[in-house]
Amino acid sequence: MSHFVTCKKNSDDFKKYIWGTFSETERALPIESLNVGTVSESITFEIKSINEIETPTQFQIFIRLIKWNYFFLIFVPLYYIFVKNFVYQRLFDLLSFYLSIAASLFLFAGLNIKNDILDHISGFDWIIKSKSKRPVLQGWITAHAANKFSNILIIIAACLAGPICFRQNEVFRISIITLLLFLVGSFLNKNNYKFSYISEFILFIMLGPALCSGYQVALGSGVDTEVLIFGSAWGVAVLFLMYVVQFEHLFETSQAKIYNTMTKMGFDKSKSFLKLWWGFFILLWIIYHYFYASQYWLWFSALVLIFWSLSAFVQIAQADSPMGSNLFRVRRSCFKIFTLMILLLILEQSWYLYNHLDWLF
Amino acid sequence: MSVKIFSEQDFPAYLPKLNALYDDLFSGGKGFRSQLIQIISKPLGVPKEVENLLSQTIEFIHNASLLHDDLIDRSQLRRGKPAAWAKYTPEYAVLAGDYLLARVMVNLSGHGNIKLVQFTSQTISDLLEGEWLQDSVVGDFFISVTQLDRIHNLKTGSLFKWCLKAPFKALEKYDKDLHIILDEMGTLLGQLFQRSDDLLDYDIRNDEGKVILGDLKSGYLNSFGAYVSNNMNRAAIDKMVKSKTMDDFYLVFSDDRIQGKEQFLKFVNHFDSENIQKIRLYDHYVDQLNVKLNEMNLNQIDIKNLITTLKSLTDLLYFRKRPA
Repeated sequence: MSHFVTCKKNSDDFKKYIWGTFSETERALPIESLNVGTVSESITFEIKSINEIETPTQFQIFIRLIKWNYFFLIFVPLYYIFVKNFVYQRLFDLLSFYLSIAASLFLFAGLNIKNDILDHISGFDWIIKSKSKRPVLQGWITAHAANKFSNILIIIAACLAGPICFRQNEVFRISIITLLLFLVGSFLNKNNYKFSYISEFILFIMLGPALCSGYQVALGSGVDTEVLIFGSAWGVAVLFLMYVVQFEHLFETSQAKIYNTMTKMGFDKSKSFLKLWWGFFILLWIIYHYFYASQYWLWFSALVLIFWSLSAFVQIAQADSPMGSNLFRVRRSCFKIFTLMILLLILEQSWYLYNHLDWLF
Repeated sequence: MSVKIFSEQDFPAYLPKLNALYDDLFSGGKGFRSQLIQIISKPLGVPKEVENLLSQTIEFIHNASLLHDDLIDRSQLRRGKPAAWAKYTPEYAVLAGDYLLARVMVNLSGHGNIKLVQFTSQTISDLLEGEWLQDSVVGDFFISVTQLDRIHNLKTGSLFKWCLKAPFKALEKYDKDLHIILDEMGTLLGQLFQRSDDLLDYDIRNDEGKVILGDLKSGYLNSFGAYVSNNMNRAAIDKMVKSKTMDDFYLVFSDDRIQGKEQFLKFVNHFDSENIQKIRLYDHYVDQLNVKLNEMNLNQIDIKNLITTLKSLTDLLYFRKRPA
């Protein structure tokens, strides 16, 4: 039968329990505390035998650990860059491009695990209960083992990036800038890049313009305005998703004195901000399409996007409590419009690809 | 000891209806919170006058919240009698609640412990925040148990925390670790009490004769309702919300009433198991408290009795077992 252990956060015991190195046969699961203001002082763990924990298959643990469901964040820009350069016939260095794809996949997986570990160590994952089960929090794997695994993934990513930097010098500069930004973001706010304005800006750069530019530079095509505008729009959209999640957890994070854009603005202003931010994304979408896409796609995609966004705007407007199911509905409707935007983008790029192939053959 | 009067100025006789309203309100209450104060105060050696002040304070805050709560919920009855707002008008109920809170501050500040005053003000603030949030989720039949737990921690847990911590604060014992333990204990007691109270609504261990499905009928999905409806489809939740009797409610789970009742009782058992886990956690914190109390140079027998009493509280609060 399980038992409980309480230890201070600055003690050696705490480190052993939180990293899972205290035993080979047991796991320490942090107990959620509703007294979030005091949680930083001492932590209670439930010590369970490994046999008591229902563990899924290794594969299921792996895909949950790397957060496969967020891989679209790098796949969509990847597809866009590929189609754009294929259509413009600027696929100069395919080997570097393939390597950059592999490197970004490994890096993204590694960073996702690191992020989970940081959340676990800082206590964020016991304050904000995620609907998806986190392997470390569930005790399926220790934080120590997960950390080792993430290090391996990041090292592989670095090894894959080496030849690209050698073949395309520009990639090296972009990687260094991104790495510096990541480190600054990590150290600025208690090793968790999700909670400060600068960190949000860094996330925008990393998953937006830097990611898109990196892919294109790896292809040997260099950076151009089109890719920067697209990257910026994508970064704004990614931040929108993050703001929606922040909004959903506004109450818990406020109580825990975790500061982010939503907690600083409060419930009512956050609602307006979410609408304005998505509106800003639509504006960037229109600007991008006005300059770099056909008139048909400009009007069609913009109108569809605006029309679908209305339902999300209504859900946001109807949210009247920082508690309750209305927050889930806001999240669902916002994720829906994001998914629709991705579908439109893929459809549009596929259309260009199809037309180009048709023209070629 | 009467918790109604602490100071002569508490209830001036010249104010019409005020005394009658308070007599109605204070009679019939179990005074559980003030008893908890007394349980904690005795082994700590809290002076009798301070113990009375603390007992009165918690009862005043609790009763003020009931006055306001009944009006907000439009509950017609309180402790089997007409609610104050219905009998004396909503205006009087609001003023009477405010007056009780004001008396709390007058009497407590007279004691001179500013940290205790600050802690009490924070508790009242938490309580009101909980009320506010609870009101904002009325009519929400898709709310989760986790979200309700957070509301109940503010609304119910805050008063239990106060009962456990105030005697220590009154003696100027501010040890951080000790108060973290007491916070956790108070939260768990509040949660268990609230969950047990929510089960009464579904006629489980309902020896008090609480109105069946009262919360649901007034548009409030309580913790057990949220537990049961988790993963239910919209049609089933709709059926659940429209239930007027427990027989209607059983039909949510099966078309056959008897099978439906069996299913329902399985949910109760699972809910109980989850809460027994919370009781185990509470007992762990009581053991931690025991260690802390032993460092305080108090009478060993008193400490032992206190620990035994604190451990038995969950039987009373969750399982509603009367003390022998």
